[in-house]
Amino acid sequence: MAVFQAALVNEIEKLYKKKKALVAVILTLAIIVIGQLVIVGVRSGFGVRGVGSVEFSMLVLSVVINTILPLFTALIVIDSFSGEFAANSMRITLTRPVSRFKLFSAKLTAVAVFILTALMLLLIFSLLAGFLFNANSASLGDVARIVVAYLMSLLPLFVLALGIALAANILRSGISVFFLAVLGFIVFQGLGMFFTRYSGLLITTELSWYNLWLASTLPLGKIIREFLIMVGYAIILFTAGFYLFDKKEF
Amino acid sequence: MKIQKKTAMLLSFALGTLLLAGTAIADISSQSGYGQLKDSLKLTAAKCSDSYNSFTMDFSTAVTDNGKTVTSSDSVQKYDRAKNAVESVNTSENNGQKSRFYSYMDASTTISQNPSDDIYYVNQYSEPTKRAFFTDPFKSSNSEDIEKIADAVVGGLKDYVVVKDNADGSKELSGTLTEVQIPPLVNAVASLQVKQLFSNPNQTTHITKDIYVKEIKGTALINKDGVLESILGTGILSGKDAQGQVHELTFELLGKLTGINSTAVTKPDLTGKKVVQQVISKPNSGPGISDPQKFVGTFKNDIVSQKDGEFVKAGERIIDITHMDGKTVAGSYHEEYAAGFAANQKPPQDFKFTATLNKGPNQDPQGAEFTVPGTNTKGNIHFDEALGQVYFNINGPSSQAFNSVFNKVFK
Repeated sequence: MAVFQAALVNEIEKLYKKKKALVAVILTLAIIVIGQLVIVGVRSGFGVRGVGSVEFSMLVLSVVINTILPLFTALIVIDSFSGEFAANSMRITLTRPVSRFKLFSAKLTAVAVFILTALMLLLIFSLLAGFLFNANSASLGDVARIVVAYLMSLLPLFVLALGIALAANILRSGISVFFLAVLGFIVFQGLGMFFTRYSGLLITTELSWYNLWLASTLPLGKIIREFLIMVGYAIILFTAGFYLFDKKEF
Repeated sequence: MKIQKKTAMLLSFALGTLLLAGTAIADISSQSGYGQLKDSLKLTAAKCSDSYNSFTMDFSTAVTDNGKTVTSSDSVQKYDRAKNAVESVNTSENNGQKSRFYSYMDASTTISQNPSDDIYYVNQYSEPTKRAFFTDPFKSSNSEDIEKIADAVVGGLKDYVVVKDNADGSKELSGTLTEVQIPPLVNAVASLQVKQLFSNPNQTTHITKDIYVKEIKGTALINKDGVLESILGTGILSGKDAQGQVHELTFELLGKLTGINSTAVTKPDLTGKKVVQQVISKPNSGPGISDPQKFVGTFKNDIVSQKDGEFVKAGERIIDITHMDGKTVAGSYHEEYAAGFAANQKPPQDFKFTATLNKGPNQDPQGAEFTVPGTNTKGNIHFDEALGQVYFNINGPSSQAFNSVFNKVFK
């Protein structure tokens, strides 16, 4: 465990020192500012309230979960794998007394930490902006729902990250992985729109599963099914990704 | 060690696949509350249009402002397949003003009454036709597209519909969306719509700012046959008027299906009521000619020319209707010129015609078309019952102005 911890700290530090993570954080905050400006504009321009204090957080989440967050998750994962393959720095990491399994897990855990941090920052700042600039409409239950919705969004984003990690271990070039990820994302989004019956199986649809947690009466059956589907995806993608990572020669 | 790792990997891969496949099948076969509602709606529409002999549909809407009714409407429609009859009563109240519209239709009659007067307008069809009884909206060509759009809009909210199974096999569906759950875009668009609805400053309710959808609620009852018996939807919006006073607007929509196979539609008794009656050959065509015999006779108009800066009569156009019944018309047309005018003209028209009165849909049932014998020239004739006139036209280039209005020649 100590070895894994060391590897994880190492990966997180690498992530932290990279500009990309910082840019991601700055961009997410910019989204909040722009979003709030748009809302204020709509309110004074059209006379429509737009959002209340807590709804603003949900508006922010519904936008970033389909745009910025998957995009930066992809960038971070690609950097962590393809980037290190290309820079040959993976060799250095592998010379340490860490098994490949632990290293692979540590890398993905670091990605999960990044996603969670981004989500929490978004949550805190959107709530702050929401309460400062919008009419108060919050009840304690609503805030609790929103916190749960943000936390739950970690799961589908992490599954997405696993998928991209698999792609990064198949394709050599980071750029092709990135384009494959973006293309796949768009295609899946489109499929989900046309085949609504099967959309529950697509990971891009799972991205908005946080909606299920907002319901007044929790649709437990659906939540369990979606959860199991995501766990199934996670196991498959993790195993396949690790298999390739384990076989790789550096 | 190496083998162990491989086995572990295989096992976990198999486990993941099983988990995914199993849940996927369960997910596809499971029907969300929204899906059940949709299925029930389709089944209800199909049963109403194909199998139920009679039923009553009742739709009512109401808009209240802080509990005070702004507008309300109620529409009761009774369908009876055996009689091929539909009776509908629409009542509405707008800012305290009530109005009622009544209509009755069967194969040979339509009766309607306007809210503004007490007169019953009756259309009697000489050829009884089977009416489209109740058309299934889901069978129209673009219903599938609309359904797809609706599915996309509902999207992640599908699972907010809670289903409660009752002991007798019926189901209660319900759903509530509060501010947090309503997608912000839906909220904004709905708010804008409502703002436009109440934008007139003369209205008692005139909201201008801070408009938002507060809550959307819905309940539905599906009976044991899967037919939707009632559906109630409520939307609550909040907004402020120019004075900053908060208005809470409630929109309610209630639909009910009752009297399945036990609704009776009776033709209203109009004795002693003010009635305006018209005879029409069939629905969707204008009124036919009620007593065609009266058009037999001569109709004329003058051929007018100019001479020395004055209008002068150059002659007459004459139509002789020799035979006329509800189906055919026969007669002749000729022109008579006064001395001194005939020389300027090409040989005057003189021909006999027979024609069949128009019967097709979207055709003038008081008119007929004919061909001038020995030529390809077509012409048409129209009988005006109210004015006792005949309109007569011959197609093709005409060297002079042709007056197509012919007046009856009285003896």
